[in-house]
Amino acid sequence: MLSPPAQAVAVLSILLAACNLPAAEPLWLSDTAPHSRGHGSQGHGGPVEVRKGVYYKRLWLRQGQAADNSDYVSRVDETPKLVLIDTDGKVVEKLLKKDDKADALNVAFAMPNEGFYNAYLKRQHVEGDRLEVQIAKAEVLKHSCREGHDHVQEKMPPHHNAGMPLEIVRNRQPKENFHSRLGHGDEVSFTVLRNGNPLPGARVTLTSGQGWSKSLLSDEQGRVSYTMIRDYYPSWEAFEKRHAQPYLVNALYTLPQAGELDGQAYRETRYLASYAGKYYPSPDDYESYAYGLSFGLFALLSTGGGIYLFRRRRKRPYQEVSFND
Amino acid sequence: MTKLKAAINRVDLRRFRFWVQLGFFVLLVYGGYFAINLSNDLPTFACAFNKEGRGGVCFLMPLQHLMATRWSSLFGWAGLGVLTALLTFALWFIVLNKAWCGYACPLGTLQDWITSLRKRLGIRYARYSQSQFRSLSTIKYVLLALTILLPLGIGGGLLPHSMGTPFCDICPGRMIIPLFSGDTSQLTIDFSSKTAMIMTALGMLITGLFFAGAFVRKRFFCFFCPMSALHYLFSKPALLNLKKDGDKCTRCGDCYRVCDMQIREIADDVENPRIMQDDCILCFKCIAACPEDGALKATFVGVPIFESTEEGFHKRMNQATDTKRDNHAD
Repeated sequence: MLSPPAQAVAVLSILLAACNLPAAEPLWLSDTAPHSRGHGSQGHGGPVEVRKGVYYKRLWLRQGQAADNSDYVSRVDETPKLVLIDTDGKVVEKLLKKDDKADALNVAFAMPNEGFYNAYLKRQHVEGDRLEVQIAKAEVLKHSCREGHDHVQEKMPPHHNAGMPLEIVRNRQPKENFHSRLGHGDEVSFTVLRNGNPLPGARVTLTSGQGWSKSLLSDEQGRVSYTMIRDYYPSWEAFEKRHAQPYLVNALYTLPQAGELDGQAYRETRYLASYAGKYYPSPDDYESYAYGLSFGLFALLSTGGGIYLFRRRRKRPYQEVSFND
Repeated sequence: MTKLKAAINRVDLRRFRFWVQLGFFVLLVYGGYFAINLSNDLPTFACAFNKEGRGGVCFLMPLQHLMATRWSSLFGWAGLGVLTALLTFALWFIVLNKAWCGYACPLGTLQDWITSLRKRLGIRYARYSQSQFRSLSTIKYVLLALTILLPLGIGGGLLPHSMGTPFCDICPGRMIIPLFSGDTSQLTIDFSSKTAMIMTALGMLITGLFFAGAFVRKRFFCFFCPMSALHYLFSKPALLNLKKDGDKCTRCGDCYRVCDMQIREIADDVENPRIMQDDCILCFKCIAACPEDGALKATFVGVPIFESTEEGFHKRMNQATDTKRDNHAD
């Protein structure tokens, strides 16, 4: 349950969001290139570029409510800057650029160490009498089995950036490791942070790749939980168990925070944070214990029975041999 | 020193082997719970699918993964990864030689336990004829070739990715070893693609066959094991070895009769001092069963560490007779 002040802020947040529709489309960071056919190298954290043995991740700036029909952004007013926090907490800034291959803003960065890299893109501008602050976040995993698995557990806890006015953190699954995958039917929870502290009452919306969405308010600990729905129905021939389905989580929070940006005055501030992730078909969809155990049992019994019958056939009944001298 | 040597030569090998095997079984199947990870390139079936309990990883798993790397990378920077993994495997292997099979392999240990159960039930075991033996012992080389070539085909885009770890798919270790840490997830058929469906169905059939085969035939699966074939390619420079002095051999055949792998050369070959064959699991049961002083010996860096003696033979025979008598009295 939310405390009364938090409830008031939550209600205000929803009302403001409702009164000022349409809300700005969220910006988010994707590791899927435009027109990608998924033929590139794949690491445990999704597509990677491998240059002289070092993994590089390329992120693309996109805008939209649902992952599958979001546009790739080719231009923003200010210089788009990515803040990258590596596995050791070192902060690096990178500029997003368009390249010859695609008319879309993107950036690639090296991932020399195992673990999670957090990438943030913050954009703010005044629209009417409101300051819109958008924070797109990507949490990128670098893992190669060749580097072993001894260090996995210490690298699992999620990191956050205390300098971000609004941030979504995906909480880890029980016993999650670098090989874990979120599947259909699994529960996933997120914590919404404001300047590094849990934020109750933020409106959080999870949207599946094809557009199914559900909105919840974050609780006292800033947490929200969802059960991932199945959003992938191909024919058996086309089914791919490693098919990564994108999902997008947005947290919206509005404050009556007045001020001025580049000479433009505003009366309130609306924060919109995004987090993009992937989920996969559940093994329950394509694995069968019944068939597996039947096959195993069939082999065991037929081999055992075959050996028994073979031995029985070769056994000759006792016959007394007498010699007549 | 002489006393110590004599005591070792008189050792009850059956009991010694049981405890060493149990120790390795706990280490490789439950080591992960004690934060133990010996290596990702072990020359034995420390199954990678035993996710939480494993105390290391069987080399065949990373080998298949590495061979499935795209050819442009495999014949470039990734080739270094293959060489490093192979070197790590060779360094582990070189210490124990094929005793990795006879003393460390969890799947081998499991087969020995199934054999003990059969003995207790009083069911006789099966043996192959020499012609069957000769044809069956080539299968492991075919499997080793497929274990390397199929992932290589994936790297070249010739085969589907679901064929990524072909040997693991059919290895009974994948289904059985995780069961010891309570993981039943490998006992399924994967219907996600035709290849996965065929390979996992084959894996379950082989698992059923494994239990039935191991019940009637000692070390049934070891004949077909591609790891055993890979071992033999590296066994020449190994530190632990089996040697035979043909001049002392009377060709009584005791060593052949106790050999779980039915290696005939151990009794017949009196010319070659390096008697270890490709199917040998270096269990040293042949040394324990030999009544001739110094005819068979285990050496480490050329130094004899356990050798056949008449005294040791009699002591072990008496122990075996006593145990049988006790069992009958029970």
